[in-house]
Amino acid sequence: MVTSDAMTPAGPRAGVPIGPRDSKGYRLFTGLNAGVLVLVCLVVLYPFITLLAQSFSSAGAIKAGLVNAVPVDFNIETYRAVTQDERFWTSYGNTVLYTVVGTVVAMILTTTFAYVISKQHLRGRNVLIGIAVFTMFFNGGIIPNYVLISSLGLKNTMWAVVLPGALSVFNLLVMKSFFENLPRELEEAAQLDGLGWFGIYVRIVLPLSKAVIATMVLFYSVAYWNDWFSAFLYLDKNELFPMSLYLRNLIAGASTTTAESAAAIGTTGAAISANIKAVTMVLAILPILVVYPFVQRHFVSGVMLGSVKG
Amino acid sequence: MKRDLTSGPMRRVGRRLTALATATALIGLTACTAGTDDEAGTDNDAGVMTDYAADTTFRATEPVNLSMLWTDWPDVPITDSWQIFDEIEKRTNVSLDLTNVPFSDAVEKRSLLISSGDAPEVIPLVYTGEEQQFAASGAVLPLSDYVEYMPNFQKRVEEWDLGAMVENLRQADGKYYMMPGLQEVSVPTFTLIIRKDVFDEVGAPVPETWDELREGLAMIKEKYPDSKPLADGFEGQSMLNYAAHAFGTVAGWGFGNGTFFDEESGTFEYAATSDGYRDMLEYFNGLAEDGLLDTESFTAANDGMGTVTEKFAAGQVFAASGSNGTVQDFATALDATDAKGTYELVEIAPPGGQAGQIVEPRNFWNGFMITADAKDDPQFVAKLQFLDWLYYSAEARDLLRWGVEGETYTKSADGTYTLAPDYSLGAFNINPDGKTDIQTDLGYSNNVLADSTESRALKQSYNTPEFVDYIDSVLSTRTPRDPFPPAPLDELELEQASLLATPLKDTVDTNTLKFVLGERPLSEWDAYVAELEAQNLQEYVDLINGAYERFAEKNG
Repeated sequence: MVTSDAMTPAGPRAGVPIGPRDSKGYRLFTGLNAGVLVLVCLVVLYPFITLLAQSFSSAGAIKAGLVNAVPVDFNIETYRAVTQDERFWTSYGNTVLYTVVGTVVAMILTTTFAYVISKQHLRGRNVLIGIAVFTMFFNGGIIPNYVLISSLGLKNTMWAVVLPGALSVFNLLVMKSFFENLPRELEEAAQLDGLGWFGIYVRIVLPLSKAVIATMVLFYSVAYWNDWFSAFLYLDKNELFPMSLYLRNLIAGASTTTAESAAAIGTTGAAISANIKAVTMVLAILPILVVYPFVQRHFVSGVMLGSVKG
Repeated sequence: MKRDLTSGPMRRVGRRLTALATATALIGLTACTAGTDDEAGTDNDAGVMTDYAADTTFRATEPVNLSMLWTDWPDVPITDSWQIFDEIEKRTNVSLDLTNVPFSDAVEKRSLLISSGDAPEVIPLVYTGEEQQFAASGAVLPLSDYVEYMPNFQKRVEEWDLGAMVENLRQADGKYYMMPGLQEVSVPTFTLIIRKDVFDEVGAPVPETWDELREGLAMIKEKYPDSKPLADGFEGQSMLNYAAHAFGTVAGWGFGNGTFFDEESGTFEYAATSDGYRDMLEYFNGLAEDGLLDTESFTAANDGMGTVTEKFAAGQVFAASGSNGTVQDFATALDATDAKGTYELVEIAPPGGQAGQIVEPRNFWNGFMITADAKDDPQFVAKLQFLDWLYYSAEARDLLRWGVEGETYTKSADGTYTLAPDYSLGAFNINPDGKTDIQTDLGYSNNVLADSTESRALKQSYNTPEFVDYIDSVLSTRTPRDPFPPAPLDELELEQASLLATPLKDTVDTNTLKFVLGERPLSEWDAYVAELEAQNLQEYVDLINGAYERFAEKNG
């Protein structure tokens, strides 16, 4: 705002003191704003801080409710124990694998499909869009999906996790409208220079779409990183389980949330101590936590992409 | 599915599981009905052991591969190197092929697998009542047809006098579809845990009845005016459950279908309108009014005991519901405070009341079901024999709990089990210095198979002396209530019953809490009963009584 004012000295407000912005009321307003935002930040941050503090505390102190923002009985033994667990690293490795492969597959499918349906002159284009959009509103349901995956022979393979989510229609439509806004002249010029459709797509369109591709990569990779449900449905072998499944078993399983299961299970089940849970959670969210601040601006621009029709 | 990937999966877990449950129920309804009653014949007796009998080791005459659902507990992760599977195969010639399911959502996954026809042959960890939905759709076998192949089961049932309870497993068609885990002795898993040192300090005896408990709590309150000495970390459901038996009714977790069998009239009546139920509410309301009951714990969402444990550690609560494991939780928390070394936690037998020193009826523990497809397997009979050996023979039970005799443990002439010095069992704090943990390293004492069927000696062998004292005190001073007679509903009635029972139970739950907390005075009891009657209470009770009479007529 300040820069735009500075750049238009001849504008109607030239020479007028910036006025209301420096007034008492405005300062009070910004002060309050800052205060509220800091509070919101604290509310959002506090669970993370507690989690971090718990991960360095002893189980007894956590159970007694003594741990808030500062670790009690500081120790790194729990970190040592968790990172020595083979299963932890197996599932971590699986999550990385599923995320990388899944994102690559999803990007190939989404960009190619989106490019095709972005071509207004394509006959049957609306049918293709219709087929894609149809799946946003209707699907076969869990058990038919399960039977399908099972009879395709995908059960207990990485593809059961990767393929069902590999084409997000929402992402597809965002990408389609981005492609539609690319200047047609560029492609025509490339055509004149002798490039075929595929060449245009690979050498002209994709390099010009880095922003939307970055956003989509982020969307897909976060989704795959967090995906729990398809792994839960389609995988029966421990060595294939991703982090999300391992973590959920550790947390939801150990706390026996429903009364019935607590009654039925009785003595077992509560044995995972709170510090182990905390450490595992910290380690599981770490990569996303580290990467996110650097790419989140793409997230914001990505959401905006779909909203403007060209 | 595709759209869902763009939002946080964890948040949607609940909704999806609901959808899954609904889908499963639908499949159950539409699936074909129970198959034919083919007796096991000559075409499925491959590998069978012809002279198999009770207390002999089963050994298949040809290699058998049995598929089994395996719930994976986070604290006991299964590994390939577990000795238990090798040992089973060595003795019986049966290898197990496992389908792993994480414990957190094991029940949902089990439904999915069975409904889609993709389930392994054996489904362990089935608790009484859970088999009903699968039985109705014919997805699992009526195992009562095959008990002739299970001599150990028959022997244990007779030895431990469980015949009448087995009869109670029968569904409307007169068959039962699960083989339960048999317990020689059965004590309530959840009961009252007290700080005995504090009861001693104020001069209160260990309460034998709810009235004595109230006196003791009042004395504690006098000494610690800021405390609310009694709590239940399970929204009151656990405490109401074990208290109800003493008041001659059912409530909380034990509310079941809401009916209570009245021995005198020989009919079922609705529990939540009975005098016993009213007396119980009056009792707890009295506690709440006197500030003896931590009412917060009756309303706070069940968060796995977090807050009650905290209050226990902070000295604001001195008696709370819990199991054997909860005692450990309380102890860990108390150890982190100044009370370390001075406190004494005791699991007491559930107090008695106007109905006598009554506790819950004897219970089965988890057992297994077999999926319908297994019947056509050429080795079906051998598999039945193997399961009989695994679940009901003393030899297998010792193996599953303690390992190999002479290697991981020894058994003395008087039946005492001793773990070999090189081995430990961390979950029960036995030989903590041993190098190899028989549970996490070798797979014995695992939660899937080891708990199911237990003799008293076996149950006492691994539990703490305090828990053994608890078992003794319950068995010597309390009487289990007689089980209600069976009143199995057919498929249509089941649906009707659930339509009727759900609103009734909602009304009961809401008002139980209101009466206890004093938000609704007990003078409005009649109005409350009238509200229930307006919700077709009579029709519901008639339905249950009709099923009871029909079953009695058909089966004597």
